Amino acid sequence: MTSREPELEIPAVDGPQTLLRETGSVWRIALRRFFRRKIGVTGLVLVGFMILIALLAPVIAPYSPYEDFIGEPDAVRWAPPCVNVLGCEGQQHLFGLDGNVRDLYSRVLYGARVSLPLGFTTVLVAIIVGALIGSIAGYVGGWLDNVLMRIMDVVLGFPSLILAIAIVFVLGPGIRNTLLAIAIVTLPQYARVMRASVLSVKEIDYVAASRALGSSPARILFTRVIPNALTPLVVLGTLGIAGAILEAAALGFLGLGAQPPTPEWGRMLADETARIFTAPHLMIFPGLAIVITVLGFNMLGDGLRDALDPSLNE
Amino acid sequence: MKKLKGVVILAILAMVAAACGADEPADTSAPAETSAPAETTAPPETTETTAPSDTSAPSGDLASVSAESCDYGGKIQSIEATGTHEVVFTLCSPDPAFLAKLAFVPFAIQPAEHLEATGGSPLDNPIGTGPFMLDAWERGSEIVMSANPDYWGGPPPFETLVFRWAAESTSRILELQSGNAHYITNLAASDYETIQNDENLVLLEDPNPNIFYIGMTNTFEPFNDVRVRQAVAMGIDRQRIVDNFYPLGSEVADFFTPCSIPNGCEGEPWYEFDPEAARALLAEAGYPDGFDTRITYRDVFRVYLPEPGAVATEIATQLRENLGINATVEEVESGAFIEQTSIGAMDGIHLLGWGADYPHVTNFLDTHFRGPQFGDTIPELVELLDQGAATVDEAEAAPIYEQANNLLREHVPVVPVAHGAAADAALATVEGAQVPPFGAPQFHTMTPDGDTLVFVQNAEPISLFCADETDGESLSACEQVLEGLYDYDLEGNPVPALAESCDPNEDGTVWTCAIRQGVKFHDGSDLDANDVVTSFAVGIDAAHPLHVGNTGGFEYFAYLWGALMNAEDAGGEG
Amino acid sequence: MLGYIARRTLVAIPVLAGVLLVVFLLVRLLPGEPCTAMLGERATPEACERFNRANGLDQPLPVQLGIYAQRIVSGDFGESIRFSRPVSTILLERLPVTAELAISALAVAVIIGIPLGIVAARRHNTVVDVGAMAVANVGVSMPVFWLGLLLAYFGAIVLGNTPFALPASGRLPAGMRPDPFWEVWGLDLGESGFVYSMAFFISKMQIVNALISAQWEELWAAIKHLILPTLALATIPMSIIARMTRSSLLDVLQRDYIRTARAKGAGDRLVVRRHALRNALLPVVTVIGLQLGGLLGGAVLTETVFGLAGVGTALYESISTRDFPIVQAFTVVIAATYVVINLIVDISYGYLDPRVRLK
Repeated sequence: MTSREPELEIPAVDGPQTLLRETGSVWRIALRRFFRRKIGVTGLVLVGFMILIALLAPVIAPYSPYEDFIGEPDAVRWAPPCVNVLGCEGQQHLFGLDGNVRDLYSRVLYGARVSLPLGFTTVLVAIIVGALIGSIAGYVGGWLDNVLMRIMDVVLGFPSLILAIAIVFVLGPGIRNTLLAIAIVTLPQYARVMRASVLSVKEIDYVAASRALGSSPARILFTRVIPNALTPLVVLGTLGIAGAILEAAALGFLGLGAQPPTPEWGRMLADETARIFTAPHLMIFPGLAIVITVLGFNMLGDGLRDALDPSLNE
Repeated sequence: MKKLKGVVILAILAMVAAACGADEPADTSAPAETSAPAETTAPPETTETTAPSDTSAPSGDLASVSAESCDYGGKIQSIEATGTHEVVFTLCSPDPAFLAKLAFVPFAIQPAEHLEATGGSPLDNPIGTGPFMLDAWERGSEIVMSANPDYWGGPPPFETLVFRWAAESTSRILELQSGNAHYITNLAASDYETIQNDENLVLLEDPNPNIFYIGMTNTFEPFNDVRVRQAVAMGIDRQRIVDNFYPLGSEVADFFTPCSIPNGCEGEPWYEFDPEAARALLAEAGYPDGFDTRITYRDVFRVYLPEPGAVATEIATQLRENLGINATVEEVESGAFIEQTSIGAMDGIHLLGWGADYPHVTNFLDTHFRGPQFGDTIPELVELLDQGAATVDEAEAAPIYEQANNLLREHVPVVPVAHGAAADAALATVEGAQVPPFGAPQFHTMTPDGDTLVFVQNAEPISLFCADETDGESLSACEQVLEGLYDYDLEGNPVPALAESCDPNEDGTVWTCAIRQGVKFHDGSDLDANDVVTSFAVGIDAAHPLHVGNTGGFEYFAYLWGALMNAEDAGGEG
Repeated sequence: MLGYIARRTLVAIPVLAGVLLVVFLLVRLLPGEPCTAMLGERATPEACERFNRANGLDQPLPVQLGIYAQRIVSGDFGESIRFSRPVSTILLERLPVTAELAISALAVAVIIGIPLGIVAARRHNTVVDVGAMAVANVGVSMPVFWLGLLLAYFGAIVLGNTPFALPASGRLPAGMRPDPFWEVWGLDLGESGFVYSMAFFISKMQIVNALISAQWEELWAAIKHLILPTLALATIPMSIIARMTRSSLLDVLQRDYIRTARAKGAGDRLVVRRHALRNALLPVVTVIGLQLGGLLGGAVLTETVFGLAGVGTALYESISTRDFPIVQAFTVVIAATYVVINLIVDISYGYLDPRVRLK
């Protein structure tokens, strides 16, 4: 989240050779390569698992994430987990109860319905806006290119979390603003990739020829530029979801993200920070949910990169 | 790699160096520069302040500060030294809380010479008469004070007092348990048990009077309908909130003002919890199925509301279940929250509270119900408050406040919910550990088993010039070093400190204070009447050349004494 | 090469100017007045008016921007609204704490990360490799604040009653005030000036100060207090460095010259140490540089969790209280540090890989 790996920025463009390759077979080869390696498959399984939880939350969760148990026997705030199989006789609460006497297990499950869409949407917004900026900069070139890319540089001039904090402070806390803030601080990387892709396509004689033959810029964009940029965008985007979920959790932790009673993992941690020494279970489970999700997307992204970028292949 | 790190460090250092080239680190905030504009803002005709150079000669000229008339809206007309050890306060109207206010630490006395030498801004080098003297302020980590051997009330029983801070209650407890601290403040509700179960620690209850309330602004729909407000008043199970979200010893509030304040709970107690009656009222008002609204709060720990997020969520649940009102919960940044609520711009329901500054009912009612916070004021109530504020005798004021409380119950600008209990904790070995209802712990009355007492509070003080600070963390450090004419005793009553006594004339508008003889400041100089007058003048007289302070707001002067005198554009507004 | 450096530096200048402008605008766009943020429940409209006048906040925005730009360029950060102290003084107190934390975290990340990566690469596709990479993958996926809280729990509660208990908050124990090193050395640096400021900065890095002035008890306390925050902050860069080292070394080991060396009969150990490592570590150096920038963001969270009075907590507090001068100055310094680090990384990259320069 607060880190950037240059290896993410290297696979920007593979160059003309890959571009001219038959796309269909490339994807088939990549797919085979992806499934040969454990890392991507593990990631896929973890992500699939979390998506399943998000989809099935109302079915799996024993209670509503908002339902409180105030006044019921044994239901005290911050009660430790009570698992019937392990000999606990009261009402079963796998992860215990939180500060509003709600079932933490249900809340963590429902949390997937907040964090996953948040991660996806953030990256989607960032890719769309970033790609738009990048392609305009690359296509038009000249001073506009310069101005746009310098603006991107300014955004990259801040440690991303600090800029995101400042933006959320300005926009006000909440999930939508968290999404916007993270999208803003991450979009320059997509803009750069898209721009590089446009530039490399511009240089190919073949494209110049098709332009001379009257192909519209839009057609060139969709037939040449986007396919060329797709590989790095997919890889960056997958890793970006991991980063977005982490940053959203950090903002939630600082009280700037999702607002109560939304079952957002970072916010759950923030609400119970003070109980870390007395009721650590309230910290462990939402935190684990974050780690598993982020780990899933990270591994999936790594697997995709290995599969899609032959130059990094062993 | 090593090289790279070196380069980076150098780069950072160079940047700092560039920044520090201009300012020197030990610089005390350039008084010459900042005091200049203060002088230019002074409209010369309205000032009668004697120049500070005069005040340094107590045997000769006697200092005074005054407003031209009482039209400026404040409570004080003049403060004059009438002898080397006598000060006379002339008020614009009788103030029943005069002595209680005097005991407030922002009105502490420092040597006139010191205020002058620091340009009216002794932010980190206070010189007082208190039981402890400031040794060092290690920014970011701690403040060290040492015992004042010449303290007029007798030297403290231990040598060194250390102030530290940690934001989380749990970290403070850890410090206590590990023996690194002797006394900590503001336990979280969830930590009471930890303290009670540990035989090495004692729980100290904090009796500071406070109120947590649910506010509704009557200029917004549907809260403009009194029946809706009454429905909310009856439809919230306040007992359930107190039982679940407040520490032991908290009480459901039957009145806005806590009963420990004289005349606080005259009149009829609050409505019983009655969801059916509440729903009937709602239906009558045209909302049989409830309505959509929002609950706003700020995420700031206060004794009156120790867990804002959890309580906001709980109230939303209750509104939904008891009344069918669908409320979203919104955290608003603290500054913006205060800004909007104080001018009555907060739509929906807002959660706020109040901790007493001094034990008088005006500190609760007048501060809330004369202004626009809850929309249009209730004219009969304002009239009653005017009467009450001018009535010095407690018994005489009682019927006035009975009516006032009944009006509040009828109009429901707020739903009083809880009087929060707070607690500090100390090592069992600290003798005499106790929390006074007003002001900070009085460490000179405690005896740790060694030479040092370490105190851990929530946050670092902002400055140690408390005439111009409002936060509790600054005030509690100031109180160890500085003293005012009066002080609060351990029961919360104002008792003479640097004054031997202050006595009113018949109608309570003139108070004559005899200043204690033979008291020495920490720098060895003697306390006299001019020090008292100058300390007050610096705060209350906006035209005083030493009216500088920290932010220059002198909030408590403006707020407890009505207004600052001789302010540039002071109109007649109240 | 010089031309390249000049070009890169020139590019950094408009970026810095942009950073200044963005900071200024963001700060003014914050909802809530500094007045109500600082004066709280007791703020009255008249008091706010006085407050704004006293702090120059009643001026029109362009005027404020002009004053701000002029000041920053001349290296004057102004005075904090909340504390009435020069911002540069506050920076000088806060920055060493963050610097010490960031540097020690980076050091730990490098010391553990690189060997981990080397071991993983040399035992490619063994249990060791899989294990090391699993650790690294989990490491980059952990929220810093969560790890910090777990470490605090571990250090203070799990180890609580053992001699290995680790303090979970603060920089030094109560009442411990190490002497500044120059006083130990018997130097008189006065109370101000450039040399004093530098010395002050260094003396606030508690470990360095205690070490160079031989205050052993203080040194031990300073190290103990820094262990948990360092571990929390180091985990992400450590994982990234380990992964980078591994993939880079794997890449190099396949190159022809390594095969040649192997074919010539050089031992495995020798090949790795003599030939492969040097080339493989070049991209790792870049990663390390980038991480130092990234650490600044993580420091906000780490300092919050462990109650350290560094730049991060100061920044967060001053955003909450709308202390504009501090927010502006601190953000600018952080961003400038970040830009400068990136610049150095860029330049070193150009130095290490001449192809980059030609772009």
